[in-house]
Amino acid sequence: MTELLQKLSECVEFGKISLASPFPPQMKGQEGADEITRHLLDQGASPQDILTNGLMPGMERIGVKFRENKVFVPQVLMSAKAMNTAMVHLKPYFLTGEARQKGTFIIGTVEGDLHDIGKNLVSMMVEGNGWKVVDLGVDVKPEKFIEVLKEHPGAFVGLSALLTTTMPSMERTTKAIKEALPEVKVAVGGAPVTREFCDRIGADAYSRDPQGLVEYLNGRLED
Amino acid sequence: MKGLELIRAAMALQETERVPWVPFVGVHGGFLTGVDATTYLCSSALMTAGISKAIELYHPDGIPVIFDLQLEAEVLGCTLKWSAATPPAVISHPLAEGKRLSDLPEFASGKGRIPQVLETTRTLREKYPDLALYGLITGPFTLALHLLGTDIFLKLYESPEEVHELMEFCTGVAGKMAGYLMEAGCDVIALVDPMTSQIDPDSFEEYVAPYATRIFSDIRAAGRLSSFFVCGHAQQNIEVMCGCRPDNISIDENIPLDYVQEKALASGVSFGGNLRLTVVLLMGSADDARQEALACLDHGGKKGFILAPGCDIPMETPPANLEAVSELVRDPYQQEVARTLETSDHRTALLNMNDYGQSDKVIVDIITLDSESCAPCQYMVEAVKRVAPHFEGVVEWREHAIKRMEGVSFMSSLMVKNIPTICIDGKIAFVSKIPPQGQLIQAIQQRINEKLKLKIRSKRSEILIFGETEEVCRELNETVRQASLELGKELRIATITDRARMAAFGITKGPALVTVHYRLKCENNLPSLDVVKEWIKEL
Repeated sequence: MTELLQKLSECVEFGKISLASPFPPQMKGQEGADEITRHLLDQGASPQDILTNGLMPGMERIGVKFRENKVFVPQVLMSAKAMNTAMVHLKPYFLTGEARQKGTFIIGTVEGDLHDIGKNLVSMMVEGNGWKVVDLGVDVKPEKFIEVLKEHPGAFVGLSALLTTTMPSMERTTKAIKEALPEVKVAVGGAPVTREFCDRIGADAYSRDPQGLVEYLNGRLED
Repeated sequence: MKGLELIRAAMALQETERVPWVPFVGVHGGFLTGVDATTYLCSSALMTAGISKAIELYHPDGIPVIFDLQLEAEVLGCTLKWSAATPPAVISHPLAEGKRLSDLPEFASGKGRIPQVLETTRTLREKYPDLALYGLITGPFTLALHLLGTDIFLKLYESPEEVHELMEFCTGVAGKMAGYLMEAGCDVIALVDPMTSQIDPDSFEEYVAPYATRIFSDIRAAGRLSSFFVCGHAQQNIEVMCGCRPDNISIDENIPLDYVQEKALASGVSFGGNLRLTVVLLMGSADDARQEALACLDHGGKKGFILAPGCDIPMETPPANLEAVSELVRDPYQQEVARTLETSDHRTALLNMNDYGQSDKVIVDIITLDSESCAPCQYMVEAVKRVAPHFEGVVEWREHAIKRMEGVSFMSSLMVKNIPTICIDGKIAFVSKIPPQGQLIQAIQQRINEKLKLKIRSKRSEILIFGETEEVCRELNETVRQASLELGKELRIATITDRARMAAFGITKGPALVTVHYRLKCENNLPSLDVVKEWIKEL
């Protein structure tokens, strides 16, 4: 079983979705995340084990490679797709509570910003690391963030902005959330955002890459 | 050399007399003329006015007609969301919504906002014949992403033929757009393909290089110049970009300029960039902008380098910051000043200047770059030198050249910002402009008068006469009054017969005399401990 889990993590790392998928060329003709997850479940592996020891290590490795500029957006998206294929089989167990995710992370681009590539990557990475992700999409008003945060007590929230012109909107959103729900931890990110800006607007966390956010979230879990 | 010639020379990798400067003014043109981005980008008259204003303020060697990467996508049926302070954003991707390439509207010069862009180009061409006009086209990969959405990233692996077909289509659109812009009078066609920063070199070679190479080759065949603009983290792709044979590549702050220089020059391609848009141009000061421009100029060198911002200038960028860049790029002297200050920055200990200029003489300090090598500094020093003898030793002058550490710390201590500057007794008196002799004499004389007034006001003396009785004091009292009369000096004379007070002065028997001098040492400022100690020593 350990060997299968190892294989699954490689499928996620290299973006091998299923037996039929041509990518990556060096894994052509091999089983992908889809088949291997089913085998694991058939053999009695727990969904929690599959998530923690199969999917998460794969996502973590691709996250680190992305941070180090060894892979780029397309490869990360392929990994995420492989992971999602596996998650389709696991989701029912999470819904019944038989397996548990680490916590809830709510994400969206701030009001006025419509660019979602970065946000989507973060969302996939966080989900791939065992968190439940509620993706509110693009151009999200501060009130919407607050409303959804109220529905998910204990959730973390991530705000994304690509444009310099939407940075003020990120500030407004952070302040509105902090005012309504002071205990909520707000993470910010996106191309123009810096640590300094994060501190200035009173947000709690900044990372220049998705893996950094994953590490922050996991770190808060241990607190 | 005129702007266009300078840019031609830089793109031909010839050494130029100075680095050409191309501010990427997009919706910032609307800011300069007081209109929002949406209104601006839809009107030929407003864009012409905005770019004309930018040319007037920033004296560029080249400038884009419009910076809007949604123009082609709009014609092809993508829905745009318009904003007041940024170019519009694409919010629908027709190919992701079930449409096929053959369903998309025809791309032609009369469609969408293309007529306004071409009209603006023609007007600017006629108005500014010597300026390099940049016509921007949306790069095929970015246009493909507008049409298909982010699915394109997965299709690179899952459906390569479909991506190639789409890239072929987008290359056709880019070729047409380049043709329209060249016909309307653009000298340089910039293929702007920021989304390529998100892919790896192998994917770039397969899906972008063949198409971009073809576009650049067609531009060259038409006798025009080309540039490849990519913003974002595109460092991994610089070599493959150069391999597409553009005349120039332009990058933003995410990539170090010296890295690009090395790769580009090795491939025989000129390069441009990479003034930081937000931290410096938008949020910084004119001084920050100067330092930033200098750093770019020093990295870029005079061969094959074009100074430009990393990308579209944010709408509300303070014009003063861009004016500062434009002045610096044309003025080797300003560059040297900025360079000297930069290298000495942060290492200067500030002098305590609280008590500066309190001596009897008037001190004139001239802060210069170095009067031996810098003409304006030399004239400033000479002006002071000529005037000083009029005051016969009362005025002392000194030059502080910031090429030496002493000069820099003096400059910072006096809070001098510009070179050359004249300070009189530590106060900034003349900045940058050499004062006419009369004005300089007047300023120094004014300071002498001030000091004299202070001196007169500050002196007060008393003579205390002590004796056991008035009678004992009488004769001494009269002698003192007579002396004061003969000297013409006003004195306060007090007679004291109180034994306790006599004892306090150490007097055992009268008559006795004590002189008292009061001297005003400082007024409306807090002297340092060291200074007070010096005063005490004088007592």
